[in-house]
Amino acid sequence: MQPQLDISNLSKSFGGLQALKGIDLSFQKGELVGLIGPNGSGKTTLLNIIGGYYKASGGAVTLEGHKTDGLAPSTLARLGIGRSFQVTKVFKRLTVLENMLVGALADWRLSRSSARDKAHGVLEKLKLTRLADSPASSLSGGQAKLLEFGRIMMLDPKIVLLDEPFGGVHPELKRFMYEKIVEWNEAGATIILISHDMGSIFGLCRRVVTLSYGDIIADGDPETVRNDPAVLEAYLGDHHAA
Amino acid sequence: MTLFHKVLLGFVGLAAMLPLIGVPQYWLYTLTIGLYYAMLASSWSLLVGYVGRISFAQAAMSGLGAYVSVLTGMYLDLPVIPSLLLGVAAAGVLGLFIGWLTLRLHGAYLGLTTIAFGEILRITVTAEHQLTQGSRGLQVRPLIEGAGPATYYYIFLAAAVASVLLMLLLLRSRIGLFFQAIREDEDGTASLGVNVTLWKSLAFGCSTAFAGLAGGLYAHFVQLITPSMMSMQEMGYVLAMAVIGGFSNVVYAAFGGVLLQILLEALRELGEWRLAVFGIIAILMLRFAPNGVFGWLENLLKRKG
Amino acid sequence: MTLVAIAEQAANGLIISTFYALIALGIALIFGVLKIVNFAHGEFYMLGGYSCYLAVTLLGLPPIFGVVFAVVILMAVGVLVEQTLIKPIHTGKVDRPDEYAIMITFALAIMLLNLANSVFGPWPQSPAPVSRGIVEFGELIIPGDRLSAAGIGILLIVGLLLILRYTWAGKAVRAVSQDRAAAETFGINISRVSMLSFGAGAALAGAAGALIGPVFNVVPAMGAVPAIKAYIVVVLGGLGSIPGAIVGALILGQVEVFATILIPDTNRALAYKDAYGLVVLILVLLVRPQGLFGKPERRA
Ligand SMILES: Nc1ncnc2c1ncn2[C@@H]1O[C@H](COP(=O)(O)OP(=O)(O)OP(=O)(O)O)[C@@H](O)[C@H]1O
Ligand SMILES: [Mg+2]
Repeated sequence: MQPQLDISNLSKSFGGLQALKGIDLSFQKGELVGLIGPNGSGKTTLLNIIGGYYKASGGAVTLEGHKTDGLAPSTLARLGIGRSFQVTKVFKRLTVLENMLVGALADWRLSRSSARDKAHGVLEKLKLTRLADSPASSLSGGQAKLLEFGRIMMLDPKIVLLDEPFGGVHPELKRFMYEKIVEWNEAGATIILISHDMGSIFGLCRRVVTLSYGDIIADGDPETVRNDPAVLEAYLGDHHAA
Repeated sequence: MTLFHKVLLGFVGLAAMLPLIGVPQYWLYTLTIGLYYAMLASSWSLLVGYVGRISFAQAAMSGLGAYVSVLTGMYLDLPVIPSLLLGVAAAGVLGLFIGWLTLRLHGAYLGLTTIAFGEILRITVTAEHQLTQGSRGLQVRPLIEGAGPATYYYIFLAAAVASVLLMLLLLRSRIGLFFQAIREDEDGTASLGVNVTLWKSLAFGCSTAFAGLAGGLYAHFVQLITPSMMSMQEMGYVLAMAVIGGFSNVVYAAFGGVLLQILLEALRELGEWRLAVFGIIAILMLRFAPNGVFGWLENLLKRKG
Repeated sequence: MTLVAIAEQAANGLIISTFYALIALGIALIFGVLKIVNFAHGEFYMLGGYSCYLAVTLLGLPPIFGVVFAVVILMAVGVLVEQTLIKPIHTGKVDRPDEYAIMITFALAIMLLNLANSVFGPWPQSPAPVSRGIVEFGELIIPGDRLSAAGIGILLIVGLLLILRYTWAGKAVRAVSQDRAAAETFGINISRVSMLSFGAGAALAGAAGALIGPVFNVVPAMGAVPAIKAYIVVVLGGLGSIPGAIVGALILGQVEVFATILIPDTNRALAYKDAYGLVVLILVLLVRPQGLFGKPERRA
């Protein structure tokens, strides 16, 4: 079966630094994949290339059989790639509701009133209704992460890229987000989840990919990856190996 | 409608009455110039306040609108209205182009680039003196042959109100929401499927088109234009108006333009000191009341009402 | 064109470059440490010209003291401006720091320009230069006022470079320019370095104004053109880069002098003289925003 998203020999360098060293990966529709690796291993860089924010130095990303090379982030978003950011990018001086509307209104076929209805529906699911008319700057860190979630839900994406969605989030809110991710996935979306929170990764994902210094060092089911000595070494460093 | 909106409407209504209640021609003239600045300051705030992109080429764009309108009238024998529209189009298209060219620049980098574009325009108009009479200035035919100050005043009032209403219409639409989202975070906006390239360029083009309209009308009103209307000093004056009125809102900025022009005339005895004082007020506003006089007023009335 | 004429143009270009570098170094220093472009730099330069005029013409001090006076006054002005208007940016006291920084310095420029207009009037003043007469190098003739001004300018530039290289304060400035956060963890007092840099940047502009004022004239609007040249220079060299500012100034000085000669219609060539650099500025920002020596900006 043709993969939904295919990454082949992808590399990226920043000046002299090789952030990605020619990696191959592919994702089938409906997968829920964890992407882990130590700080600076290239996870966010990979997401940024898939989303069109960075230009790859070599290799290709193929979405449903079409090369995405040169497509703008907004075009890729319209093609069904939704993402969150490691450092939350909510629109601080817009209200929570306005934050939700931006993505929906980018589709000109959708009327303003139906976009509004849809936004209220999502906000209710996220338990943010009460804050709909507050400026996003007044949200807590966890609520901002939820809002980013909600904005992506408004797009009905086929592929969801989540970069540290649980960073700084209260455990209770986190459980709430797990439910949403599973719900999303069950509705057919492919999910790629980056997190340093191993509990979340191993609890949610059916496949875990590990990056280290821009290379894939492990890719498989959670149990195998967890016990892979290479992964342990990447995380714990040389003193462990020695 | 809030109390503040009623107060603003009251101001506009009062403005429409002025010629009827026998306000001296001298003051009508002053207010007409004030309305020119209102258009210019609000067009600038459209870009700075909503899209978060700073341009120092706004005065130059007004000058471009003026010169294109006047020169096409002179050399192509066009009637006033089509030549005015050509001026608007020229400013809009150049703005669109500059907006597209500078997509990746922001902050001070964008400021410097727009200073360069503005100054190149001014230098070109000054240098091509066979065409423009350089810094000696160019005689311009009137907007309407034989019209008096009251007629001009009404035309400018209508143009200013129409410009601001058009801007508000744009800003209330989904495009206005895209503008503000871009101001807050470009990558975040793009991630939601909004074509950032298109809207950023278009915002620039809209803003300069309004400036071009203001400049064209101004030329046919004062009937003598010089490249000094494109100078950085003039730009600074527009900035002070928008900042003092409140640059985060096109309506505040427009009122700032009229307010400052009125003060400028009312405080004539102060001579050059007026402009220095405006500079100080602009600085204090930026530091302590970034929403400007009218933003402050709106807050005040909101708390009362 | 004869060899002498070429040499004369090149020498003129060098003298101009010295002035550009002096002004541009201040902008670079301020940008390096505070990451803001000071749009009031031309007005600091103008204030330097008037300080010199006050000291030399009104107080009757010898011209060289005019320069010293200007440096002291502008240092004070710079520190005052930094403390009242710029510091709030870095202490999180303003809403939109990027826009604030640009607009506040631009508004400051307008204010200072009109203040000078009110206090001194628009008439040109010409304080006595440090030296008069002409200097001959074989067939090459250079006016003494320019040469002495450029000479002092070069001394100041060299002095600044030595300070940055060898003194503790200079090292602190370089450390903060390279990495603010790291400098802070090493115990450098960022807010003192910021104040110092802004003051020194303003003082450099003041020195330039005091040196060049007597050569041309001291008028309120005198800062506009040199400031724009200096922006071109720093962009060309890379915003915030000290060597970049010097190399940029050398390049711009020669480009302007020779571009004017290369265009056949002299009137036109002169009328467009100030536009060449602006075209360079736009091209650099579009093609290589980090300039010749700057570091590329990092995307979030
Ligand atoms: N825009 C950039 N310019 C220069 N270097 C960059 C840039 N973005 C990332 N890098 C470098 O590329 C490497 C990989 O960074 P990346 O952000 O992808 O890591 P990561 O796996 O997401 O790390 P973390 O877990 O800390 O988020 C790092 O060494 C980083 O410094
Ligand atoms: Mg990361």
